[in-house]
Amino acid sequence: MKFKLGTMLSDVLRSAFKAPATERYPFVRKEAPERLRGKLFWDPAKCTGCQLCVRDCPSEAIELIVLDRVSKRFVLRYHPDRCTYCAQCVVNCRFKCLNMSNEEWELAATQKEPFTVYYGRDEDIQFLLEKIANENAGERVECPE
Amino acid sequence: MNNLTVHPLIALLLFPGGLFLLGGGLFYEWIDRKLVARFQNRLGPRWFQPLADLVKLLAKEEITPQGVNRALFFMLPVIALASALTSALYVPIAGFVSANSFRGDLIVTLYLLSVLTLCLGLAGANTMNRFALIGATRTLTQLFSYEAPFLLALLGPAIVTKSWQIMTINYYAQQHLWMAITQPIGFVVALVGLMGKLELPPFDAPEAETEIVAGAMTEYSGRGLALFHLGKNVELLIGLTMVAAFYLGGLANPLEFLAKTLGLLVLLTVLQSLFARLRIDQTVGLWWRAGALLALLQLVVVFLLR
Amino acid sequence: METQRKFIVPIGPQHPALKEPGHFQFTVDGEIVTDASVRLGYVHRGIEKGAESRNWTQNLYLFERICGICSHVHATALAIGVERLAGVQAPPRAQAIRILMAELERIHSHLLWLGVAAHEGGFDTLFMYSWRDREIVMDLLESLSGNRVNYSVNLIGGVKFDVEDKHRDAILRGLDTLEERTRHYLNVVTTDRTFLARTRGVGTMSREQAELFGTVGPTARASGVARDVRVDAPYEAYTQFPVNLVTDERGDLMARFVVRTKELFESYRLIREILDHLPAGELTVRVPRKIPAGETVSRVEAPRGELFYFIKSNGGEKPERIKVRTPSLCNWASVMQVAVGHKLADMPMILSGIDPCFSCNDRMVLIDRGSSAQVWSWDELRRYGIEYYKKL
Repeated sequence: MKFKLGTMLSDVLRSAFKAPATERYPFVRKEAPERLRGKLFWDPAKCTGCQLCVRDCPSEAIELIVLDRVSKRFVLRYHPDRCTYCAQCVVNCRFKCLNMSNEEWELAATQKEPFTVYYGRDEDIQFLLEKIANENAGERVECPE
Repeated sequence: MNNLTVHPLIALLLFPGGLFLLGGGLFYEWIDRKLVARFQNRLGPRWFQPLADLVKLLAKEEITPQGVNRALFFMLPVIALASALTSALYVPIAGFVSANSFRGDLIVTLYLLSVLTLCLGLAGANTMNRFALIGATRTLTQLFSYEAPFLLALLGPAIVTKSWQIMTINYYAQQHLWMAITQPIGFVVALVGLMGKLELPPFDAPEAETEIVAGAMTEYSGRGLALFHLGKNVELLIGLTMVAAFYLGGLANPLEFLAKTLGLLVLLTVLQSLFARLRIDQTVGLWWRAGALLALLQLVVVFLLR
Repeated sequence: METQRKFIVPIGPQHPALKEPGHFQFTVDGEIVTDASVRLGYVHRGIEKGAESRNWTQNLYLFERICGICSHVHATALAIGVERLAGVQAPPRAQAIRILMAELERIHSHLLWLGVAAHEGGFDTLFMYSWRDREIVMDLLESLSGNRVNYSVNLIGGVKFDVEDKHRDAILRGLDTLEERTRHYLNVVTTDRTFLARTRGVGTMSREQAELFGTVGPTARASGVARDVRVDAPYEAYTQFPVNLVTDERGDLMARFVVRTKELFESYRLIREILDHLPAGELTVRVPRKIPAGETVSRVEAPRGELFYFIKSNGGEKPERIKVRTPSLCNWASVMQVAVGHKLADMPMILSGIDPCFSCNDRMVLIDRGSSAQVWSWDELRRYGIEYYKKL
């Protein structure tokens, strides 16, 4: 075995003449891959209220609030700060109501408001928020233990 | 050689001593870090980074640990920086005539640079911190090992010039062929010796970050650390000037100074990024076996060919 | 006459050499280490206890987060065990995708280790370059699974996503680049003089010693012990895609570098083979929510060695007990024994030579001494801790 000195010389000299490998984020942003698991989004149109998504969430990040089961009025409360972005809820949903965005993944915030997100029809969310504001114990379904 | 003389007070405080030295030290530190980064295929800091580091350190609280000699703790960084700045009096900084010059000032300059390393070692020995103690031991061990070959390597040009005065050697080097070509072995030993003196990789065992945190400087923070860093930067500048003046054909004017010292710095950074860190016993072994012998060989050749 | 003074150098819990907290005490005489001891437990998070209050699917994600570098194999071990209890086996395509991700993870882990070990030895250039090349693998993992670490591939009963043609092409292209770079790194690691001065003959562990200390993984294989769970007890699709064992006879630090680098080549070959012969079929199989009662043991080969899971179910939706034994725990004894007689400067490299993963390590062991057992309340424990450190 021949012993050499300075085996990385070729790398070192080549790097002197080419651009550094560092990505100058946030001035340069690479496109996120298609399957990136970013923020969760919910489409209320197809939800049946089965709550399989809620039951298997490892960190209690989503809650389904039932306003009226018969007329399928649900509101989904999502906590991006508790979410582990595992996509188990996405897999569990049989009607493909949930999906994880690959565009919204820069979720850091300096306030607490962005970390409680309500999804649903606008009038439903309005209704729920008023109800909570009135300090009425709304019909909330907790995650079954 | 430039005959321009500056008012002594300006020379001392602004140019070519004082602020220019400190600024120049920061600039060379930036070039060193930027080049090493580029060789590692990454971006590297922006030009004001060493200045920002200095300002930040000066603004931080200085914590004096328990069990140290307070006067020594306070004074050692100051003495280190002072000796580094004083050694600039005798070398052709920026290509100008040195502020003071007398026979034998080569030894004085080298001694002053060693005072800096000695202060570092004392600073480490001053504390009760284990990492600092080990770092101090390593610093002093390394000092004893590279000092002799480095001095011998710088003696080569001195013998050919028949003088131990730096400005005379500088003048002689300008008249003759580059001594890097006529005394190649001496040049190699001087270059590697410079890396040892400045504790650059692969000879950075005294401040091995992954083994002993920061070596002798572990307990320092705030102002003391800033002064030590400044002292090291000035040492970088002076060391480069001396090796460039002796072996690369002397420094006659500021342009030559910039070009030659920067060229030497580029060579140093390439060497820095190529090797892994050597253990302290390997460093000492290398120096006392290979380094001293090569330097002696070069001296013998110089004597014979005189 | 010299007085024998015990000079103890503490490394950790906060130290630039350690990426995770752990406390080592080296008794030093000059630069020679005369004694070594270790104290772990700084990263204990109560995961095994937490597993008892989560259902099986939630546990998959909890156990994945025991370690960041070997996260997939933890989840795989749990999934395999639970499927065995439920009496099902994941479909062949899912099994193949599982080991595809496992091999990609092995590549990422070994490249990470190469950089970190080089950094401990002061060779920052190799560190930067190997981590730059590691980005290729991270990007592949991200495009396949959606995340760079904690890929969350597994489900109880299969995998979450499929490997399509465009992913296949991207993986093959990335592997070509990586293979070329790995060849260069093997060259550097075996021939660079300054690097060899730090690794050759350092931390030598003979084969008998390796077997006595119970080392596993590449650390053992570097001392000639031919032990690899993928070969001894093939699980999942390793029966279909066999693995060649990589061993080295020297047993020193350089041998560990060589073994891990050669394992990289083996992983590249394996991934190409899997992609060529990916079995068709479904991705999941139906598993009931309540797992039938029983006990089982599942062993997988993490990048660091043999990972061992004991899973006990009492027929419900939540596990009764899951016990994890990670490979790093086995390798500590070897470090502490081998360290004596070496110089202090070698310590970081010997420590990182076993590829320690502190987060994996910490479990609580209950030693029940019968009647003299003492139960402490939280306040008492807190006060005890404060007093203990005040005395130091």
